[in-house]
Amino acid sequence: MPHHNIKNAEDMSFSEEVTCRHGGETLTSCYQCGTCASSCPVARLDPRFNPREVIKLSLLGEREEIVSGDAIWQCTSCFNCQERCPQNVEIADVIYALRNIAIEAGHSPNIYADFGIALVNEGRIVQISKFVEKKREEYGLPPIKPVGLEDLNKILAATGFTKPEKTEESK
Amino acid sequence: MEQPKVGVFLSDCGKQLSEIIDFDALTSFVKTIPGVALIARGSEFWRGKGLQTIVDAVKSEKINRVVVAESITKISDVNIAQAVENAGLNSYLVEVIDLKDHCAWPHRKTPKEATEKAKAMLLSAIERAKLLEPIEKLEFPALKSALIIGGGIGGMQTAVDLADLGFEVNLIEKSPFLGGLAARAGRFFPTDDCAICIQPPASDVKTITHTSRKCVYRSGFSEIPNLNILTNASVVAVEGVPGNYKVTVEKKPRYVDADKCVACDKCVSVCPVETSDAYNANLSKRKAIYINVPAVYPQIYVIDEDACKFHECAKCVSACPTNAIDLDQKPEQVTFNVGSIVVATGFREFDPSAIKEYHYDEYPDVITNLELARMIDGFGPTGGEIVRPSDGKPAKKIVFVQCAGSRDRRYNPYCSSICCMISLKNASLIKIANPDAEVSICYIDIRTTGREHEYYYERARDMGIKFVKGRPTEVYADEEKGKLIVDVEDALLKRFLDLEADLVVLATAMVPAEGTPELADMLGLDLESDGFFKEYNAKLRPTETKQKGIFLCGGTTFPKDAPTSSLHAHSAAMKAAKFLTSGKIVKDLRTAEISDEYCGDCEFCPVMCPYGAISLQPTTDDHFVARVNDLLCEGCGVCVGTCPLNAIELKHSKPSQMAAQINALMSVNGTSKPLILALCCQECGHTAVDSSGMAKLEYPANVRIVKVPCAGIVRVNQILEAFKAGAQGVMVVGCKADGCHYEVGSEKAEKRMDSAKVLLKEYGIEPERLEMFRMVYIEGAQFAQAAQMMTDRIAALGTLKLMGDS
Repeated sequence: MPHHNIKNAEDMSFSEEVTCRHGGETLTSCYQCGTCASSCPVARLDPRFNPREVIKLSLLGEREEIVSGDAIWQCTSCFNCQERCPQNVEIADVIYALRNIAIEAGHSPNIYADFGIALVNEGRIVQISKFVEKKREEYGLPPIKPVGLEDLNKILAATGFTKPEKTEESK
Repeated sequence: MEQPKVGVFLSDCGKQLSEIIDFDALTSFVKTIPGVALIARGSEFWRGKGLQTIVDAVKSEKINRVVVAESITKISDVNIAQAVENAGLNSYLVEVIDLKDHCAWPHRKTPKEATEKAKAMLLSAIERAKLLEPIEKLEFPALKSALIIGGGIGGMQTAVDLADLGFEVNLIEKSPFLGGLAARAGRFFPTDDCAICIQPPASDVKTITHTSRKCVYRSGFSEIPNLNILTNASVVAVEGVPGNYKVTVEKKPRYVDADKCVACDKCVSVCPVETSDAYNANLSKRKAIYINVPAVYPQIYVIDEDACKFHECAKCVSACPTNAIDLDQKPEQVTFNVGSIVVATGFREFDPSAIKEYHYDEYPDVITNLELARMIDGFGPTGGEIVRPSDGKPAKKIVFVQCAGSRDRRYNPYCSSICCMISLKNASLIKIANPDAEVSICYIDIRTTGREHEYYYERARDMGIKFVKGRPTEVYADEEKGKLIVDVEDALLKRFLDLEADLVVLATAMVPAEGTPELADMLGLDLESDGFFKEYNAKLRPTETKQKGIFLCGGTTFPKDAPTSSLHAHSAAMKAAKFLTSGKIVKDLRTAEISDEYCGDCEFCPVMCPYGAISLQPTTDDHFVARVNDLLCEGCGVCVGTCPLNAIELKHSKPSQMAAQINALMSVNGTSKPLILALCCQECGHTAVDSSGMAKLEYPANVRIVKVPCAGIVRVNQILEAFKAGAQGVMVVGCKADGCHYEVGSEKAEKRMDSAKVLLKEYGIEPERLEMFRMVYIEGAQFAQAAQMMTDRIAALGTLKLMGDS
């Protein structure tokens, strides 16, 4: 387990910042063989994202490029890369760790802020549509219970989750 | 026993020490110690006149115990012990301490404290000396013969070396023919030599011209009179001790009489059974009676038990012109009594079917490098042509995939070290034979570290072989095109490639030979975490093992190319010869002794002994008693530390001797600080103390050193006794985890100290008063720091209160 938890954030290199996060621990095992890239369905279609490159930039400490860039938000979490990585780098999990760092730094696509806002306001990320309610009725399923919003917000507050703010939409 | 008369020889190292330590006070102190018969002071005692003083005193029988305070103890020890032995006194009646590095230099700023510590050190040495007992030497007979397990390139080279030196050599090969993996590889890098060459035996020089190498079958190798070759045979049991092993070998029936077979091929032509030829990667068929390839040793046919119909058919029996075929042959067991064993079982290819995404099991055109090598071999299944196994058509597009199962934490985390060169060799051989072939190599890193190896890489680029930096994620079949597709990212271009291939060659990892764990178990050897045999010391004793008479050769310790295997083989032969040459093993009996009175059925020590030196023997009253084999015992004391009944002691480091030392060291303080006892193993721990002194690093004089054979000897009750004797803190200093000179001692000590801490708590003693440290010789600074840290820690804890103290 990473032993650098004791350091202050400002004394850490970016790769240390990632490895002491949950999900980011395996970052430094990468030897850039590219199995992840060739496994990735997104990378073939979208030149903005290449998992090997995301890992390399993190290892080289290119914090700004990772945190404010588009790349990490393109991953679809299919876990193909993670299945096949010969060094057991948990690539998709590393990307989650990077996303958390980015959100803390105030960078995230607005759709994530929308999710967050919906969670705080309505207790759900995805709203239950009339269509779903009708289908449930058809199948004889009970209606979905309303969320105990007050309790949920207590829990969210205890975890330090605050209502995210939307940023100006980048392209 | 004779009353001890101790001679004490005090060296001031050319007045260096007397500037710090008060030698007059020291002399007066020593005079008051009972049993001291002689005190001498001088500049040095480990050589010249000083050493003569000791010799004279011993010869005159004025003294029968020798205590020397010297510097550079490790050299002094040897010189003084030898001189004393020559003067007629057992060399184990000598105790040498280092007043310079362990006292004067580290404590030079507190000379008064240094003088008091010097007194304690001398008292301790004298008290120990009085209790020392002579240790005898014993001779064990050793047979001048060896058994070599494995008839590949390594085993054969070792066999020639040892046979040339005149030893009786038995070479055992599991398969029906010699040559091993190397022979199947066809050719070697970096010379493109063919693989069946070996060094010709010395006896060959008389009849054939001396030459650098020869094919096995024409080398005269098989005709060396003192070399007995047994093929189709494997080891089933090993008993005995170094110098006298009894090895049971099971010889599978060949069903062909070696003395009659003339290798005429008539049996093969009448044999109606065709079966897949495993030797040739199942790329061709062979008969149930067969020979691997024409140029092979022995040139004797063999029957494949799984394929042959035996008496139902028996066509070969009547076809054989020399009546060599005997379908009723039975397996037989042969016993060899040998002095030494060389393990040369090598390695094999990893089965890549585990890597599902490469579909080795599923697609016939995905093959391994060794299978490709069979195709490249002119004697091979395709006569040297590179084809697609699926349809036999020529393979024009060939893609190599490196690191298939190696450098992969899911299978084998290590780099197999030879596969880059194997692929470069095979790719180049294909290009040489067929310049139009399109050959690509997908790699993570190309590793060509040996002599002439980089040239191979250069030549490969020159030939037009394409290099793609990237590890493919998958190999899949494009059924429309009838091709395989290798899906890979060229990381340098950041481009995704779908490489078309007729043939995909997996550069598979190399893993230990089959049956390695079982063989290791029979031989009492350890395996490394990679599954290969563990050598005694990777740096200095790469072909030796912790078992004195057993040696390792070639790929048994890790995948190796042919030149390295060869080098290794010669080293193993040299080490085995050195061991065998005198026909005896002479050993000081610095071994463990078991008290039958206390020993009771618990089985701890036989399990803990790193050398397998302890066994349980039945007693008359249905109990067991542990017995130490003096030949196998290395005198580390791990058993002593383990025994819950204190029934074991080392002849050269008895608990009574250690207790006397500890009491003495704790009886003189002379500092205002709490006394701390440091039990240091004689290897890294004690030498780290030396090196802290040599480097003139400082630590407080209240830290007192006792040298023990290994940290593993320290018993929990000894720690309690040390506290009782006045120690306020105890340090145990051993080797690093993987650096223990006795395999497991340091590790066991650490665990034991952890449990000792629990016990201390029960006794009302703060567990922080005990600490284990692990360091290497050069870490003198770490020792000095540890000593200072413990002193501060114990001072903060205050004086120890033991139960019963008023």
